[in-house]
Amino acid sequence: MTADLLIPDIPIVEARGLCRSFAPRGGGLFQRGRKLLAVSDVNLAIFRGEAVGVVGESGCGKSTLGRLLLHLLPPSSGEVRFEGESLAGLHPAELRRLRQRAQMVFQDPQASLDPRRSVGAQIADGIEIHRLAPRADVADLVAKLLRQVQLDPGIAHQLPHQFSGGQRQRIAIARALATKPDFIVADEPVSALDVSVQAQIVNLLADLRSQLHLTLVFISHDLHVVRHLCDRVVVMYLGRVVEEGPTAQVFASPAHPYTRALLASTPSLHHRVTAVPLVGEIPSAANPPSGCPFRTRCPQAAPVCADQLPLLTELPHNPAHRVACVRP
Amino acid sequence: MAGYALRRLAVALLLVWLVTSLVFLVIHLIPGDPAELLLAQGGVSADPAMVAALHAKLGLDQPLWVQYRDYLAGLAHGDFGSSMVDDHPVSEEIALRLPRTLELVGVAGFIAVLLGLPSGAMAALTAGRWPDQALSTAAGLALSVPVFVVGTLVVLVLAQELHLVPAGGYVPLARDPGRHLLLLLMPAGTIAVGLTATLFRVSRSAVLEILPREHVRAAQARGLAPRTIIFRHVLRNALMPVITVLALHLGGLLGGTVLVEYVFNYPGLSGTLVDAVSARDYPEVMAIVLVISVLVVLLNLVIDLCYGLIDPRLRYG
Amino acid sequence: MRRFLTPAILLGLIVLLALATPFLPLANPLHQSIAHRLAAPSWAHWAGQDEYGRDVFSRLIWGARTSLGVAFTASCVAGVLGICLGVLGGFFRGAVELVTLRLAELVLCFPPMLLALLVVTLLGPGAATMILCLSILFAPGFARVAYAETLTLRGLDFVTAQVSLGAPSLRILTRTVLPNIAPPLIVQFSLTVAAALLLESGLSFLGLGVVPPSPSWGLMIRGARATMTQAPLLLLWPCLALSGTVLVLNLFCDRLRVLLDPRSSTARPGFLRTALGLPPVATTVQAGLLAMRGLTLEVQRGASWVPVVRDVDLDVGPGETVALVGESGSGKTLTGLAIMGLLPAPIRVAAGEIRLVGTELLRLPENAMRRLRGSDIAMVFQDPSSALNPLHRIGTQVAESLRDAPDEQARVVALLGTVGLPEPGRVAQAYPHQLSGGQRQRVMIAAAIANHPRLLVADEPTTALDVTVQAQILDLLAQLRSRERGMGMLFISHNLAVVADIADRVVVMYAGQVVEQGPVAEVFAHPRHPYTQALLASAPEGDAVRLATIQGAVPQPWALPQGCAFAPRCDSAFAACTLDRPALEACGDGRSARCLRWREFA
Repeated sequence: MTADLLIPDIPIVEARGLCRSFAPRGGGLFQRGRKLLAVSDVNLAIFRGEAVGVVGESGCGKSTLGRLLLHLLPPSSGEVRFEGESLAGLHPAELRRLRQRAQMVFQDPQASLDPRRSVGAQIADGIEIHRLAPRADVADLVAKLLRQVQLDPGIAHQLPHQFSGGQRQRIAIARALATKPDFIVADEPVSALDVSVQAQIVNLLADLRSQLHLTLVFISHDLHVVRHLCDRVVVMYLGRVVEEGPTAQVFASPAHPYTRALLASTPSLHHRVTAVPLVGEIPSAANPPSGCPFRTRCPQAAPVCADQLPLLTELPHNPAHRVACVRP
Repeated sequence: MAGYALRRLAVALLLVWLVTSLVFLVIHLIPGDPAELLLAQGGVSADPAMVAALHAKLGLDQPLWVQYRDYLAGLAHGDFGSSMVDDHPVSEEIALRLPRTLELVGVAGFIAVLLGLPSGAMAALTAGRWPDQALSTAAGLALSVPVFVVGTLVVLVLAQELHLVPAGGYVPLARDPGRHLLLLLMPAGTIAVGLTATLFRVSRSAVLEILPREHVRAAQARGLAPRTIIFRHVLRNALMPVITVLALHLGGLLGGTVLVEYVFNYPGLSGTLVDAVSARDYPEVMAIVLVISVLVVLLNLVIDLCYGLIDPRLRYG
Repeated sequence: MRRFLTPAILLGLIVLLALATPFLPLANPLHQSIAHRLAAPSWAHWAGQDEYGRDVFSRLIWGARTSLGVAFTASCVAGVLGICLGVLGGFFRGAVELVTLRLAELVLCFPPMLLALLVVTLLGPGAATMILCLSILFAPGFARVAYAETLTLRGLDFVTAQVSLGAPSLRILTRTVLPNIAPPLIVQFSLTVAAALLLESGLSFLGLGVVPPSPSWGLMIRGARATMTQAPLLLLWPCLALSGTVLVLNLFCDRLRVLLDPRSSTARPGFLRTALGLPPVATTVQAGLLAMRGLTLEVQRGASWVPVVRDVDLDVGPGETVALVGESGSGKTLTGLAIMGLLPAPIRVAAGEIRLVGTELLRLPENAMRRLRGSDIAMVFQDPSSALNPLHRIGTQVAESLRDAPDEQARVVALLGTVGLPEPGRVAQAYPHQLSGGQRQRVMIAAAIANHPRLLVADEPTTALDVTVQAQILDLLAQLRSRERGMGMLFISHNLAVVADIADRVVVMYAGQVVEQGPVAEVFAHPRHPYTQALLASAPEGDAVRLATIQGAVPQPWALPQGCAFAPRCDSAFAACTLDRPALEACGDGRSARCLRWREFA
């Protein structure tokens, strides 16, 4: 712990040149099948205490990135570092120790809880696995965790199917908090919930983050929620980061055409979507376009976009805000 | 489709080779000397001289890879070995009797498909009402009676007590078509009882699974007539699981011919198997098992190709 | 549960009988008495005597012990072997998976009977040989099921959660994987016992299984067959015993399957619309396109019927887009399905009327309703990938809407073009799996508007799509609205922002009732029902530091609170709200709200 105080700017989690591809699949109507590049060359540094939002549409690789950050999937190339230590070469026992400090909250509250075990037992899993408390204290700890997520501690013996979607998501969060992690990846934790329940969970995550000094990676396709909750946002398209920066800035003056289109397409209560910002569909991840992956749909594409892959470069007046476009 | 067909053909050929090899290896995998095992009767050890003679006859004194090579070479020339009992080449027996067994299985399958599939679909469409309950009960009962019990009871009731049909036997098609068919119908019908019940069940559950699907509701929303919906959007989609189960039961179907041919004295390939096993005639048993198993692999291949015809997702990536 | 107990108890009795056999006062099954061979049933020998004068009844019971013993033992061995291989292969993948699957596939190529005969040729008949054979034969079946279940399970998030928590593999396998795959494995076990029993009997019948003089049902049938002409009754006992036991086993399997997976039980297909016993209504003339009054839908729960949609009034004018919004459990989808006459089987219409330009829909006979579907009213569903039949080409399915028009092909291609699909000719020849989600939804829309319907019901048509594609589809729908003059649209959604874009009027539903309705802009700017207010406030769009939330959860239809359904969660509730159910009051200027205090929110 002291080490962190001395060198405060080592990111808690860092991805370097992270790539992940999946086995070949058949192609669609117009393309032949090839290896699927889910995540390509992602460099991301997440600092302690931050809430980073990862946004993008289907096939952008955000879920895969979340799992890569926790080493739930091995990378095809590149590495993930946790507090400077690479996860790749770790001994399984060491990896397990690190897992105590990094947890995940999943999207579907129905599928993320074991239907056959009581919720109390599932929350206690983390405590038992890492031997964080003697057997006698486990029940109290579980009760405390349930209270922390604003649930009645008396429900610990019940089964998941007896709860609503929002309650199940709270239980999943309690389970993740049981190991006292520093770092949490939340993979679309509110997408499967009703709007009124979404707000409860978003508030809960914000509260927990400040109370427990958590570092949060929040993966979502909902720009509004990300804007509300996160300090920094990373925009992904077809496996690559196309823009990243402080949330307020990126949303106020988006530099990448895709981010602009995404913001413009998102329906809002306050302004109507006037023109359709984007035509066409997301290309197949098995057969991405040459050069910039977005050029097939980009309103300002130029011949040079097909030749080279744009790298993330800082904007002139704002080094924290970076964009991967030759003509931002 | 061509790519898919070629892949399935390659897998089938690989399986044929593996099956052939496994049949060859069985005799060597069992602990103990094969010749001694074959000659031992009721716990009494065999005479060493006879064991040595059998070794030489079966080629067991050669190194393993030589035996394997000779075995494969023999198969390639259509030589399936000779019976230990009467020294006749087994391939003659196979050539004579295999078509009869195929005929039996074909007719049984035909009857089962004709009766089982439509009744299963109908039961699904009237689920919960009396036609479904009656048919399901009948199918449940039919599945519980073993095929040799059905055959024996058929012989008892229809042949012995009621004198409606002869108790068994065989007449070639050319000589007397009517009698040939009659004698074929008995064993084929016996096999068909269990097979029809199985097909009934699987088609019923397949249709029941498809009915609540969204594309059926969407077809309804387009205002299609019920008959169109049933045939185009339900039955066609239900064909896949039905064919899958049919493939799974092929092994049991061909194995069941052993019992049925025995009960009805039908001179097919499986019928001779029983005598060969009783006589511990290993080469003959091995050859027949090989032929029938390869048949199963090939029939599975045919079914795989049918999949490709039905499901476009297999054909076009 | 009751249906399961019967075969379970019967099976238990049979097993108990087999286990207790040595302790029962039975005659010696091996004792021969040639003088009395083939004797008829008597007090001393309840089922008579067989061809060697042995007591048949005693041999039946002892035969049960032998046959079931072999079957259970073989199934246990096969189970242990197969499950280990299958689970390890499915969980760890890699080499174990490859070897297991290939081996299983190989063994499954052999008809079980034949492989058994091959081994018997070598080792000679006998119970031990059979157990060995059967174990090897049935292990692949277990391996396959265990593998498939483990593989599926491994993809589920709660298993990934265990990995994320740092649980060692052994803990995951024993605490999470095995308990969850146990049900299908138990079913497989009972199936295997039945199959093993049949195989053992068959082999014994051929004289190649259990060795005489040990009793076995198969052997008894073999012996009785030889003396069939003299004593036909002798044949019946073992046949009955064998078939009866297999029947009980099969029933046990079936009921177990249903018990463990209730979804697999027979659900009445909602396919054929049942007749409705609704009171007739007078024919009235109406101005609007769609007029729904007092729609009440009920679902069966146990012995009673519970209302899930209560007293809903809805109007759609020609050329108007009305949005029906609500969260899950609000009843909005069911309301849409009721208009189409496509309610699922457990739902019935309890009251109400729906008029489409004068024609009352709920009392229309099915073939008349069918003529309206696809031509006067059409529907677009939420999930375009499941709403298209994967086995038919796109063009074929769209052509179904056109009902044998003369120039079908050309019209289909033209239709696909109007919904913005590039290369419509090529798309018409394609299969659904070759298109993307957005393209599939365009196809659905094309099929829906093929006959220029008067009313289009769109049930969450963009929920399953990406946001940029959603914008395209919404734009398409807006274009269609202006192109198809007079077409009304009922747009069902849970997303208020989407609704704000596309709708003229909005109807907000909560717990099966309409709580507010009116022109979209006004309702969203000045909501008059606390639920609408709360929904709008909880949207994460504003700059609030904390989002406004609605405490509590939507009540279940069978546990509705007294008074206003929203009162327990309402910030503005007071005493009167919990006493009576408020009625939907007109607020003037085309709006209405179901709240006692709406005037205060104006």
